Amino acid sequence: MAAAMETVESLVAHIQALTKPEDVAQLHSLLKQSQSDEALRSQGPHLAPLLADLDPAKHSLGYLYLLDTYLYSSISREQVAAFLPSIARFLNTCSAYHIRFASDKFISVCRCFKDQVMRQQTPIQGIIPLRSAVQKLQNSSEQLTTLHSDFLLLCLLAKCYKPSLCILENDIFEAENPKDLFLFYYYGGMIYIGLKRFSKALECLHNVFTSPMANLNAIAIEAYKKYILVSLIHSGQVPPFPKYTSATAQRNLKNYAQAYLDLTTAYATGKHSEIEACIQQHIEKFQSDNNLGLVKQVLSSLSKRNIQRLTQTYLTLSLQDISNSVQLNGSKESELHVLHMIQDGEIHATINQKDGMVIFHEDPEEYKTCQMVNQMDLSIQRLMSLSKKLTAIDEHISCDPAYLTKIGRERTRYEFDDFDSVPPKYL
Amino acid sequence: MASSSSSGITFKLHPLVIVNISDHYTRLKAQTLHSGESSSCAPPSNGGTAGSAPPAPPRVFGCVIGVQRGRTVEIFNSFELLFDSKTHTLDRAFLEKKQELYKKVFPTFYILGWYSTGSDVEEADMLIHRSLMDINENPIYVLLNPAIIHSQKDLPISIYETELHVIDGNPQLIFVKSSYNIETVEAERISVDHVAHLKPSDGGSAATQLAAHLTGIHSAIKMLNSRVRVLHQYLVAMQRGEIPLDNSLLRQVLSLLRRLPAIESEKFQDEFLMEFNDTLLMTYLAMFTNCTGTMNDVVEKFNIAYDRHSRRGGRTAFI
Repeated sequence: MAAAMETVESLVAHIQALTKPEDVAQLHSLLKQSQSDEALRSQGPHLAPLLADLDPAKHSLGYLYLLDTYLYSSISREQVAAFLPSIARFLNTCSAYHIRFASDKFISVCRCFKDQVMRQQTPIQGIIPLRSAVQKLQNSSEQLTTLHSDFLLLCLLAKCYKPSLCILENDIFEAENPKDLFLFYYYGGMIYIGLKRFSKALECLHNVFTSPMANLNAIAIEAYKKYILVSLIHSGQVPPFPKYTSATAQRNLKNYAQAYLDLTTAYATGKHSEIEACIQQHIEKFQSDNNLGLVKQVLSSLSKRNIQRLTQTYLTLSLQDISNSVQLNGSKESELHVLHMIQDGEIHATINQKDGMVIFHEDPEEYKTCQMVNQMDLSIQRLMSLSKKLTAIDEHISCDPAYLTKIGRERTRYEFDDFDSVPPKYL
Repeated sequence: MASSSSSGITFKLHPLVIVNISDHYTRLKAQTLHSGESSSCAPPSNGGTAGSAPPAPPRVFGCVIGVQRGRTVEIFNSFELLFDSKTHTLDRAFLEKKQELYKKVFPTFYILGWYSTGSDVEEADMLIHRSLMDINENPIYVLLNPAIIHSQKDLPISIYETELHVIDGNPQLIFVKSSYNIETVEAERISVDHVAHLKPSDGGSAATQLAAHLTGIHSAIKMLNSRVRVLHQYLVAMQRGEIPLDNSLLRQVLSLLRRLPAIESEKFQDEFLMEFNDTLLMTYLAMFTNCTGTMNDVVEKFNIAYDRHSRRGGRTAFI
């Protein structure tokens, strides 16, 4: 027992000594060695005071190892709860360079942290530490880690959407685990729905069910259901499956979302009564999927869409006529609707209250400001970098053996004697 | 033989004449070169060693027509004539026929003289000149020098008149050179501009025209930029004292600067930004299309490579 304690203390001494960046590799091997050594693990519950000695910013790697051992040893929930502030401090102040040596340990520490925070029903506590953890773990802003989905889950539970935006806004180009990707985009879609940014929500949910998958999974099904509802709210129709959706998704998704597809057909008729009847019919299904709120929003979006259709036919219209054609109750309600839409920027109009007329305008954007120049410049730069990436992927796939084999097989059928595009070794 | 003219007549030359003569010459040269290559086996060599000498560039002949008002002679147009090299005379009947036809279309134009190509006036030219004297008492001779000399900046065109000079006791006609001006009508300016830019033959499509237009603007701005930079460096050096002050140059720079900014009104800003944004939007659209095309290729290849149940027997993607 005393010997074990000694080894632990010597280890701590080592950690405190080897702080220079060149020594980190050495420290790492030392720690890995001690990990397999039973001594450290047996001392698990007693590591708390030692951790207090170490500085999480300077001794991040050592702190991480000890912390991990501590949390997964046989300690009680209250002890973990008591330790939460220290974990939070560690996550906020640790050095990214150190923890990348032991990323799996880091992930497990964060997982434990998240579980505890959720158990305590105070998810908001975990948001800032987890966000800094995510930013430290990823190699670049385009990489997806396991922590991303945990972080978004906490934000959703706490209903605190703003902190997640900086993580959500990055385009993801690398992901290690497909489940992470699905969860990330599903939660991301839900956050955007909460923020009422429906176009971005559509993008995220779209990414979930169009990802390559060999077998259907529950996340994709749920995402598809929400996708139908959000696209009805946003654009009034559900677009067909794009070319890059996997065959499994294309064939099987519709079977699980029948109620929603009925809603789509009812929406297409444009009558309130039809849609309400459809909702009543499937109401238990909607409720069990927790989508009833979205469904109600679909209903209210119908009047918006009808008013927008009116802008294409009329230049001016009286409020009474609007309420008649859109099936609202009275001119007051239609005035309210039009006012909201003007405020949200969905239509351009002026309400003349004296004679109750609404005058519809064209889009006043004339594209002659410097801000527009900057905006377009940014978009063009983004497109250029995206285009470069796409060309690189294109070249990569062209050299892929799987692709070449399939191409070679199809080519031989046509018997091009003089044009052998695929070397025979791939066939 | 040629000295400067003292007749006091001003000549105005239209660019159409220049283009006509040069076109005539180029056509004939291309034809003889082509026929020369097919008949002779050795390729024409420059500055002849043993072997066939390069075929001499043919001389072309034609008539110039225009209007003479008082002391101003304005040469508007020209047409080609057949030259009989054996008798060294121009084909008279042909000339008269042509003259009649042109008189119907341009009643005010007279035959003012004739043209030819070459580096200098030759003896034989006097014969042709005299033969034209019965149509016009004082014909003019337009000479185009087809040799391309890069250092020479002026047009290789010279206009000759004849004067009666007493040489060695004999009154003789000699050619004297006259100065001339180039006169253009709007329509001529546009056509010359068009020819000078030499757009590609299928340049009717908007894309190539836009690209050519933008390239032109780009090179113009690049040149302006480099010149401004040179001036700037010069001024900085002057400020530092490395170069002695030159007040006249400084005054010129000051007058140049006073001319800027040319327009500063809000209306100009609006128009300018709108056009700028339009070009940006076009670039954006082009990039979008490009990107979408690449994306489509990637998706196709991905589907073929990895999707287990891809379309069989369908069109294969282009590698």
